[in-house]
Amino acid sequence: MFTKVLIANRGEIAVRIIRACRELGITSVAVYSDADRRALHVRLADEAVHIGPALAGESYLAGQKLIEAALAANAQAIHPGYGFLSENADFARDVQKAGLVFIGPSPDAMEAMGDKGQARSRMLAAGVPVVPGYQGLDDDSALERAAVQVGFPLLIKAVAGGGGKGMRVVRQPEELLEAAAAARREALHAFSDGRLIIERYIPHARHIEFQVLADQHGHIVHCFERECSLQRRHQKIVEETPSPYLTDALRAQMGMAAVAAARTVGYTNAGTVEFIVDPRTGDFYFLEMNTRLQVEHPVTEMTVGLDLVQWQLRIAAGETLSFNQADLTQRGHAIECRLYAEDPANNFLPATGPLLTFAEPSGPGVRLDSGYTSGDAVTIHYDPLIAKLIVWGEDRPAAMRRMSAALRETVLLGVTHNGQFLQDVLADSQFAAGDFYTTWVEERFGGWLPPNCGLPPEVLIAAALSQPLAVPVNSSEPDPYSPWRAANRYRLGQ
Amino acid sequence: MHFRYQSGQQLSDITLERAGDGYQAVIDGQTYAVEVIDQQPGILSLRISGRPMTFYWAQDGSRKWISQGGCTYWLDPPAQRGSHPAGEVDGSTAVCSPMPAQVRAVQVASGDLVERGQVLMLLEAMKMEIQIKAPTAGTVKKLLAEAGQTVDRDQTLIEIGE
Repeated sequence: MFTKVLIANRGEIAVRIIRACRELGITSVAVYSDADRRALHVRLADEAVHIGPALAGESYLAGQKLIEAALAANAQAIHPGYGFLSENADFARDVQKAGLVFIGPSPDAMEAMGDKGQARSRMLAAGVPVVPGYQGLDDDSALERAAVQVGFPLLIKAVAGGGGKGMRVVRQPEELLEAAAAARREALHAFSDGRLIIERYIPHARHIEFQVLADQHGHIVHCFERECSLQRRHQKIVEETPSPYLTDALRAQMGMAAVAAARTVGYTNAGTVEFIVDPRTGDFYFLEMNTRLQVEHPVTEMTVGLDLVQWQLRIAAGETLSFNQADLTQRGHAIECRLYAEDPANNFLPATGPLLTFAEPSGPGVRLDSGYTSGDAVTIHYDPLIAKLIVWGEDRPAAMRRMSAALRETVLLGVTHNGQFLQDVLADSQFAAGDFYTTWVEERFGGWLPPNCGLPPEVLIAAALSQPLAVPVNSSEPDPYSPWRAANRYRLGQ
Repeated sequence: MHFRYQSGQQLSDITLERAGDGYQAVIDGQTYAVEVIDQQPGILSLRISGRPMTFYWAQDGSRKWISQGGCTYWLDPPAQRGSHPAGEVDGSTAVCSPMPAQVRAVQVASGDLVERGQVLMLLEAMKMEIQIKAPTAGTVKKLLAEAGQTVDRDQTLIEIGE
């Protein structure tokens, strides 16, 4: 086992990895930019190295600086977390060339799955069902011919893409070339690679992904699925397992396909195979593979009883999986809600601000993975994820009730967040029925406003009795028990 | 004592007077009996008309944040400006950036007729896509930012005329 690992990330995932290291007796080395000097992950780690200014390109994305920091600290391995450099094969190679272990799959496996066109071809060759589509020459005339084969509506996607960038739905043949041009521009800008593929567009599709774990001795298992259809503009907001849609038979088939997909590229460590399911037919198709740990990994951990991050470290250290597929089962139901610093009532504009108060929920089956505590601040420099709230319940209704209660118990003051929006999604009857698809949130909650648009009387009363901030109309106050006299004595607030 | 707060566009008034061991609050002509059960830094427990309630609160400059029963509110002193007003100069409406961001795409051209709510530009900040929408219908008079450009909070991006 490693004695020291450098975590090339920040926020809640860095905290998560530091915890796993601590539990395995591994010394953790955190890295931080100027903006993260007092961040939680820095406070929790055993050692911390400053790696640059707030701009990600000069800190968390600066591969050379990260490798130098690991070498200087005498770390043996680097854990890349998710996002940043976690799916960057060049970085993985550089890490290995420096004599360090990259905690994740091999650079070759990463590249095989990173190129969507290549991934599709390899899956087809391996007998894994793929969304009907086309990859190859992508000049205008080739795309036009391909579009006739694939049929409309179709989806134009960037080969190097992700997060919905470089993606366009095309419903009519006349729109094809313009959409392709726009997708190409976006892809070139976001990924420096303007190549495109075409896929059939499946309306009301469900996004169901399978967790895989593979050691370096040829053993590959899947750890069941995660239902990730609750998205807003390609950002997941609620994830759960088991999927309310899958039957046991479909689950078994998809699980086998996920393992086959991983095996085809010689995958090792943790990864996730994403599928699109057509609810009209029950057909499932390989979409892509994420060659890293996912944000929503906790729901798998809570139902399967595995510590995925610890297994990442153990696999990278050469250990063999201590279980096979038949040993794995799921128990109960887990749901995760992502608490974002954003304003759902204002077109989900991302928000920044201090976390003046952050009272975390707790209790049986309640887990909060957070990168922040009270006193920290959400800044413009990084993504707006504040924390992940995960609950486990004996069945789906129990998990839903527990999540609603936990959301209501969460207190976050100082920065606008989506807590109330999440409560409304959870309370929705279609959510309860498990009846949703990838565009459902946008369709059902477009124009959402918080339920209490005014100030309830009790809130006004509390405001007046905490520290008065409005200028009183009668400024002279002889009452010795007056709250604003008392305020100074009690030093309320700051 | 009179207090006035602003929340969003709404102004609220409350009168608070001592009454025995507690207080009496009057809001919109309704009277409420209030007792303070407990007071800790940032946490206030009250009994309002017989009902016990706990409030978390925090002050950020002149803004007060309050959480009760899973709902979050913020209150400002009265006559606080809205966060992102669209300014009006010479009959044109200036559409501004709500935060420091990068322009990802410009969806309209000078001279285009736009509808209220139409997406004019796509910005990116904090790894999220921000849609800049037209606050009113009109014609695009000036495009003051282009794809790839970095913009500041409140920087004018587009001017819309009649």
